Amino acid sequence: MKKINVVGLGNILFGDEGFGVEVVRALEASGDWPETVQFVDGGTQGLYLLDYFESCDALMVFDSIIPVEFEPKVYCYRKEELPAFIHRKMSAHQMGLSELLAVARLHGREPSEIVLIGAPPHDLGLGNPLSEPMLRHLARAVETGRELLEEWLVK
Amino acid sequence: MAKKIVVDPIPRIEGHLRIEAKMNDANVIEEAYSTGTMWRGIEVILKGRDPRDAWAFAERICGVCTTVHALASVRCVEDALGIEIPANARIIRNLMAATQQTQDHLVHFYHLHALDWVDVVSALKADPAQASAIAQSISPWPKSSVGYFKDLQQRLVAFVESGQLGIFSNGYWGHPAYKLPPEVNLIAVAHYLEALDFQKEIVKIQTVFGGKNPHPNYVVGGMACAIDPNSDTAINIERLNMIKKIIDETQTFIDQVYIPDLIAIAGFYKEWLYGGGLGNFMSYGDFPETNLNDFKSLLWPRGIILNKDLSTVIDVDPRDMSQIKEEVGHSWYTYSKGSDKGLHPWEGETKPNYTGPKPPFEFLDTDKQYSWLKTPRWKEQPVEVGPLARVLIAYAKGDPMIKETVGMVLGKLQVGPEALFSTLGRTAARGIECKQTAGFMGHFYDQLVANIKAGDYKTFNSERWEPSTWPKECKGFGYTEAPRGSLGHWIRIKDEKIDEYQIVVPSTWNASPRDNRGNSGAYEAALKGTPMVDPSKPLEILRTVHSFDPCLACASHLYDMNGNEITSVTIV
Repeated sequence: MKKINVVGLGNILFGDEGFGVEVVRALEASGDWPETVQFVDGGTQGLYLLDYFESCDALMVFDSIIPVEFEPKVYCYRKEELPAFIHRKMSAHQMGLSELLAVARLHGREPSEIVLIGAPPHDLGLGNPLSEPMLRHLARAVETGRELLEEWLVK
Repeated sequence: MAKKIVVDPIPRIEGHLRIEAKMNDANVIEEAYSTGTMWRGIEVILKGRDPRDAWAFAERICGVCTTVHALASVRCVEDALGIEIPANARIIRNLMAATQQTQDHLVHFYHLHALDWVDVVSALKADPAQASAIAQSISPWPKSSVGYFKDLQQRLVAFVESGQLGIFSNGYWGHPAYKLPPEVNLIAVAHYLEALDFQKEIVKIQTVFGGKNPHPNYVVGGMACAIDPNSDTAINIERLNMIKKIIDETQTFIDQVYIPDLIAIAGFYKEWLYGGGLGNFMSYGDFPETNLNDFKSLLWPRGIILNKDLSTVIDVDPRDMSQIKEEVGHSWYTYSKGSDKGLHPWEGETKPNYTGPKPPFEFLDTDKQYSWLKTPRWKEQPVEVGPLARVLIAYAKGDPMIKETVGMVLGKLQVGPEALFSTLGRTAARGIECKQTAGFMGHFYDQLVANIKAGDYKTFNSERWEPSTWPKECKGFGYTEAPRGSLGHWIRIKDEKIDEYQIVVPSTWNASPRDNRGNSGAYEAALKGTPMVDPSKPLEILRTVHSFDPCLACASHLYDMNGNEITSVTIV
């Protein structure tokens, strides 16, 4: 049976930065999912999440994002649209989704399906909850994730 | 006029580490200024909360260092409330911290730091047969056949040629400061990929004891995991066997891959002995064999070394209000009783007061405030923390295993102990420490198994769990030696709630701005005197800053669809 990992990225201490983690929590609670679906609160763990990226057939990632054209809405990107980079950086803590995708690709262990669902943040204030617009995006993102998961599960 | 170079990782909303350096006409760095460009202020959101919950917030402060903050936090609350934890909890915490340190060092060396010394593009020109011969001459590691390197090289070529992937984008490939022959570059790239693969295994130890990962569960009073050799859900024989296997594999990987690579790479850079810096070092010590206040039982010893003097290790007491103080003379904070005097963390304050230019800006006024990091000092002295500090203190105290490993590495490189006071020395110390700590992992495992065999399954002390058992007011200090250095949490509890919480993280020690007497922090001092081959590609700055394993780009990491270059370099 197909193994699906659902990973939320972001820091829940910084307002809308925690969007991805909050979506995954809500999505997990929204249904009775089979054991083949694993929900992961990935935080800002960067490369330490590699196993979750390389150990599944289909990968769904939620994150707050900076889209090319900044519009307040939920974005959904498929595998071929996602840039994979290994950047020169100052700190091991700067590693994000693009590094994970690049390394999984170099290892030859990229999941056959990858989707990134995200929305641009409004408020990154320390200790703040998700902003009003982000809460609306959250409901939309959970819905998008649900539909896709159900689609993947019957495939 | 002196030229200025600015390395700023992030031109957008988040904050990271920014370096401004002044160079002379020969492109040698004369002064450097280190800036943390984002306010973290975790202390403020902890105020008023239940102290038993603090660890769960603390472990979110930092991207990669979740367990170390959770550990320092539970230790500090236990210290305040006078809670003694069961032996098994102490051993499990030690094992988890050692696991974190080992994994972190491997990832740091291969993923962040190696590319400062290894030219990936040069590896494409390597002769796989020669690479194989070199690999076999330095290590018995089995993945070293000609076919293995040939296959890897072909994969690399395909990636580089596929262009649109931009893999390993914006590296300084071909930079004249790279000195490795193509074959050594190819070996290093192979191990870069193997190390990333291998670290996935190590982390499974955290999942067993912490219940989940990447945010394992801690609890004030012990550990939340149950031990029962006959249960399917608790820590049982099967899980212990798995852990034993991972520990053995970790030790083999370090001995056969990490250490030989370190020596092979360092051998080509022996003349690049810049980046020594302060010459002052501090460690709180860690891995208690009895309890945290029995300093003699710490496997990583506690102490201070000043002016590179390895003949004397001075005592440090983080509880002594006169020793460790945080100053804010060059930081964007104010203190209510005057910002010109340092405060011990137990009387610490976190009141932001930004006086810098409105972003985006070109330069900071480094005569005034220029960082979101405070300036911690020990008796007004700047000190370096981290693997080099720990290794030097253990070495100076005569730890036989450290003496042996240091002697082996220095001997193979044919350099003396003075070479340790450098960027490369810091990098070598991290490898030496990784080997030592992986050895401790085996030791902790044996201790745990012996306890279980003797019928001791206890992991939690519930005596003071209920707030009604707590004093009305109390204070505590919790510490750990995180991968990047000494981490301290100081708490004041009043009426069952957190009244004050202060955290001094390793990177605050190392990346701090000038102190009130104008003395540089560790990064600033280490960069001084470094010659730059090509200032538009400041590889040398990155080498030295990376050798500290900076921990600043922690709190935030939006995904940028534009794939923007992260580090911008400005020279004026």
